[in-house]
Amino acid sequence: MPVSFIVQMAVSGALMGLVYALIAYGFQLTYATSKSLNFGQGELVMVSAFVTLSIMGTGLPYGVVVLLGLLFGAALGLVVERTGVRLALEQKSEGWILLTIIIGLFLFSFAENVWGRDDRPFPTPIPADPIHVLGVDVTGLELSVAAGVLAVMALVEAFKRLTLLGKAFEAVSADRDAGELMGISATRTVMLSYGLSGAVAALAGILVSPITTVGPTMASALVLKAFSVAAVALKKTGFGVVVVGLLLGALESLASFYVGSGWREAPGLLLRLLALAVRPTGVFGKAVIRKV
Amino acid sequence: MKRLLALLALCLAPAALAADTIKIALTGPYSGGSAPMGVSARDGSKLAIAEINAAGGIDVGGKKLKIEIIERDDEAKNDRGALIAQELASMPDLSGVIGSVNTGVVMAGDKYFQEKGITKIICPAAGSKSMTQWATPDGPKQLSIFRFAAHDGIQAAMVVEEAINRKLLKVALIHDDTNYGVSGRDDLLAQIDKQGKKLQVLTVEKFKIGDKDMTAQLLKAKAMGAQAILIWGIGPELAAVSNGMAKIGLKVPLIGGWTLSMSNYIDNAGQNANGTLMPQTFIELPISPRAKAFIDAYHKAYGVTRIPSPVSAAQGYDAVLIFAAAVRQARSTDSLKIRDALEDLKEPVKGVIATWRKPYSKWDPANVETHEAFRREQVVMGMVMDGRVVFGSEADKQRLAKEQQ
Amino acid sequence: MLKRLLLVRGAEVALFLALAALPLAVTSPYALGLLTLLAIYGILLIGLDVTVGYLGQVNLAQAAFLGLGAYAAGVMVTRYGAGIPLALFVAGGVATAVGALLALPALRLEGPQFALATLSFTALTTTALNELEWLTNGAQGLSLKLPPLLGHALSKREFYWLCMLGFAAVWLAMRNLLSSRWGRAFEALRDSPIATDAMGVGTYRHKVAGFAFGSGLGGLAGGLYALNFEYLQPHGFQYELTVILLLGVVLGGRKSLWGAFVGATLVALLPNLLSNRTLFLAFSAAGLAVAVVAGARGLLRRTLRPFQALSPVVATGALVAGGLAVQNTEDWRKAIFALMLFSVVVGLPEGLMGFAGQALARLFRVAPPPLPPPAPLDEVLPARRPDGSPLLVLTGLKRWFGGVRAVDGLDLTVRAGHVHGLIGPNGSGKSTVINVVSGLYAPTEGDMTLRGAPMPRGSLFQAARVGGARTFQNLQLFSGMTALENVMVALHGAYRVPLPLVCLGLGRAEERRAQAAALALLDFVGLLDQARTPARDLTYGAQRFLEIARALARRPEILVLDEPAAGLAHPDVVKQVELIRRIRERGVTVVLIEHHMDVVTQLCDVVTALDGGRKIAEGTPDEVKRHPKVIEAYLGAVEAAPAAG
Repeated sequence: MPVSFIVQMAVSGALMGLVYALIAYGFQLTYATSKSLNFGQGELVMVSAFVTLSIMGTGLPYGVVVLLGLLFGAALGLVVERTGVRLALEQKSEGWILLTIIIGLFLFSFAENVWGRDDRPFPTPIPADPIHVLGVDVTGLELSVAAGVLAVMALVEAFKRLTLLGKAFEAVSADRDAGELMGISATRTVMLSYGLSGAVAALAGILVSPITTVGPTMASALVLKAFSVAAVALKKTGFGVVVVGLLLGALESLASFYVGSGWREAPGLLLRLLALAVRPTGVFGKAVIRKV
Repeated sequence: MKRLLALLALCLAPAALAADTIKIALTGPYSGGSAPMGVSARDGSKLAIAEINAAGGIDVGGKKLKIEIIERDDEAKNDRGALIAQELASMPDLSGVIGSVNTGVVMAGDKYFQEKGITKIICPAAGSKSMTQWATPDGPKQLSIFRFAAHDGIQAAMVVEEAINRKLLKVALIHDDTNYGVSGRDDLLAQIDKQGKKLQVLTVEKFKIGDKDMTAQLLKAKAMGAQAILIWGIGPELAAVSNGMAKIGLKVPLIGGWTLSMSNYIDNAGQNANGTLMPQTFIELPISPRAKAFIDAYHKAYGVTRIPSPVSAAQGYDAVLIFAAAVRQARSTDSLKIRDALEDLKEPVKGVIATWRKPYSKWDPANVETHEAFRREQVVMGMVMDGRVVFGSEADKQRLAKEQQ
Repeated sequence: MLKRLLLVRGAEVALFLALAALPLAVTSPYALGLLTLLAIYGILLIGLDVTVGYLGQVNLAQAAFLGLGAYAAGVMVTRYGAGIPLALFVAGGVATAVGALLALPALRLEGPQFALATLSFTALTTTALNELEWLTNGAQGLSLKLPPLLGHALSKREFYWLCMLGFAAVWLAMRNLLSSRWGRAFEALRDSPIATDAMGVGTYRHKVAGFAFGSGLGGLAGGLYALNFEYLQPHGFQYELTVILLLGVVLGGRKSLWGAFVGATLVALLPNLLSNRTLFLAFSAAGLAVAVVAGARGLLRRTLRPFQALSPVVATGALVAGGLAVQNTEDWRKAIFALMLFSVVVGLPEGLMGFAGQALARLFRVAPPPLPPPAPLDEVLPARRPDGSPLLVLTGLKRWFGGVRAVDGLDLTVRAGHVHGLIGPNGSGKSTVINVVSGLYAPTEGDMTLRGAPMPRGSLFQAARVGGARTFQNLQLFSGMTALENVMVALHGAYRVPLPLVCLGLGRAEERRAQAAALALLDFVGLLDQARTPARDLTYGAQRFLEIARALARRPEILVLDEPAAGLAHPDVVKQVELIRRIRERGVTVVLIEHHMDVVTQLCDVVTALDGGRKIAEGTPDEVKRHPKVIEAYLGAVEAAPAAG
């Protein structure tokens, strides 16, 4: 088995892993401000992709369509925050887990009925022909995924580190009430994080759809993988998410090859279970002191 | 005023008479990955039923009865299939059931029909097990279950034959992890053995429903020098395989089960689907007047320019015609009598796929073919070309046209 | 007594009689199939409720346990020719074992992480079931035939009765379990996991046991499921089913057996509800009416926020509107389910049964069963004869939090039989010392010994087991439970009957004895007449006393009181001083952190003063009060000390 094949597999897998990373990044954004995340994030990805597909049908230029899709994703993220998360956060309960699951369920059924249950192709100006780069075949699409993921994460991380709003994120996450007392509106900060998370989800949908096609179930498998990535790297760093995503994607490909294609999912699941057992705050997170 | 009342009474009277109908149930997955097949089969059946009802209905011993449809979506889920089967089986006046796409659903539910003696025509589910489950030594002596589809035994044989004929002797097998995929794999391996072990199976790979990246499996096939990929799966994953093959430059033929004719494969694989081969009982081309009439009627009735699954639609249509012929012969709506008639159809039935002459015979547990309608002669190899399914060879086209005489 | 029996038990008996009699009246096999499914789901949901309702976690693994149990039973029947009892036993057993294995790592996690872990487990189980073809027949499915029971082939109706029997047995077992110490432990660990551990009731082990038990029930349901459908496929036990189960529990009502039943009914009958449009519209309209009434009431009484009051109305309204507008309600199944659940979770968090239960409780007031007389105090808190030797010795104890040196090298000796005071200004490290000793934190450096043996470090639970007990500066009561129950949780060595026997109802005598013991302690602190009051409804002073009573239930050799008089009015302070004296008379060593100088002076034999994490003075109360360093620490400047009175 020539090395080039192994490398090809690892690279193809790793590029898919970046998609998991992007969705996981959406989780991280909301977890960073409110210790909550949207269990229905997959449906957000999917509905945004569908809406973008529909907008594309109107003949507007691709760039404009993408922008509108991102805006829609952000709006949907805000809706999720308002209906599923805010109440639970105010009551300091974990009811958002169930509520976001419910919202996801509703969006799924909505999509099934409005756009139909079939998978559809997603037109894109980016070519799908394979390019030979450093001995490995990648398609323009896959490269666009990589570029999109890295660009978005770099942007948001820069924003967090360089602006005051980024500090607000950290403050609200550490202690909501204290943040409020310092004049940072916890609600607005959480809203912002959910809006960003929604936009990121929409981007994931737009980048991935040409490869995977758009359908109601398109994101369910992806989201489980994204959970794996997020669980291992939940707190703080976007960098961690990318690394773990790449690793997971590559591992899956190799597991499929060496162990058997049915066990492809196994690395992700095992990784998650182990990581959670060993380090509950995520491998890149911090432990918390309790005060009695 | 009196005249108005009389008019009203006349309008209502037919409604009262409508109690004299024959009830047929249509079931299948109308949602999910198998939906194109389920919906096409149902719509094909409904087309036939509409035509029969427009002509007044089925002649049952001198009286014309219209067909009343009871529709159920099993969502391709086994427990749902079981519940639906229980529900239908408990209806007192159900004459028959036509449908089912997923072998698991058939396995979970058909026993209720058999128990109550309700005649079921499985259409278009092709998994061998749906029928072989009854062919055991301690199985029933009388069977109410029939199948109207080219079962996997035939399809696998054709796929292997095609590979041998085209001299593609080194093959890779890929299948999905559902019932259909796994039993298809078994059927293929059995056929390779049976046909003289001429094909060398380099590797057997599988993928899950929902997987979009088959690069690893395909790379392995490429590395080992596969000359063809034999595939068995349902749904959009097949498209991911074709796209994956294009990406890594694996330019070999893809040959597989009939599900490759589904619209969600063809649309999502685009140009990469060209040249894919699969067994078909019906190709959406007007090769004969009857075929043309059916295709046009379907397009008009459902507002489409292409049938999502032509095979399912045609089979659903013909199954209704055969069932109606059995009802006519039995001169009764009683399901058991219909079964007996089905086993011994005296009149030929002019269907869209073929003219059916005694498709079934008395159930013999040692020979499953007694309740299988299709033989090798009625099946051809189809090929995907530019977004549609066409004939794989001219000889096949002539042969099918002849079948419809 | 009779009234209670009739009303509560009577309803249950009526339910089961009705369910058993139903197939005699209704002969349609379809209806029978639905009823059998109802019984199976009932068991499944009761199991799920253990984690979701009682432990308060979102558990996404119950579908996987259903699958494991189903396949275990299937394999037993097809491969080993097992009969029904053995197959069901193995099904439940396998699920319990796997559940315990999963719980061990998973239950170290909180909320969302736990949910994710259970989600992974579900996916992993499906993969395993699919891949292990040699065992499960993989994707092609496993066919089995229902074996005869004791040589008699079961009809569909008889099988249904078997399932109902199972459901009734599980119901009874759960009821017995929940009214025993297990139920209290579950409730306690929800209210305050810290106090639960500190009272020697391992939070972790109870969570694991609860999860394993719930999973075992899931497995049992799975065994019945396999025998019912006689055909299994791996993809029938995935995430989607888990969500439906979860929603059944929430809709029916958490922490409620009736709730599990209502939920099971809804889940089993839902497809039918949806296919009949008039029924669906009626149901939705009823829901809308309830939502409007409840919302209006909530807004007027200001018990609900506007969002909480309005959104269920919007959701149920959408249901009605959708029911009228949409062509095929079946297609919108999931959306309908989602809207129903949303209304319930937001507007009716107690679920349907919780809501109904409250209403019913208002209608029928049933007196609780009478309590036994309090046990003699000597049985509960035997008197000791301490000899003044060193009991608790801290050497060079340090506890640093990053740059903050809360305790910075402390040597302390507490002698048996003493009341040892610990004073110092805020931030001097007093509470941290206590927290380290009691196991909330592990020391950064230093030794702690109790009676010469090294103390367990960093574990509240372990520390509680070696003979210490404590109260908390910020009250950590189990606020949802009564005063009596709070004390009963902590009773040391009172519960010996193992779990299976408790389920069978054999723990009642033990319960009565525990009640008597707890009453004795409540009497000791003067709260006997408040035994049945919920802890959150007690006055602040009473709550403080309750915490002490609860700590005493541990029969501690050493009792640590962390600012017990904080915020108390003077009469209560006097009572407390008196109480601590009586405690000391019974030979219990007391470590007392206090700011009330008169309390310290009246009670303590020895006082240690801390500042900045270090000892600055030690001696009798008078000596310490006059110590210049102590005065400086409290008042900040060297001034002439007022002459002692």
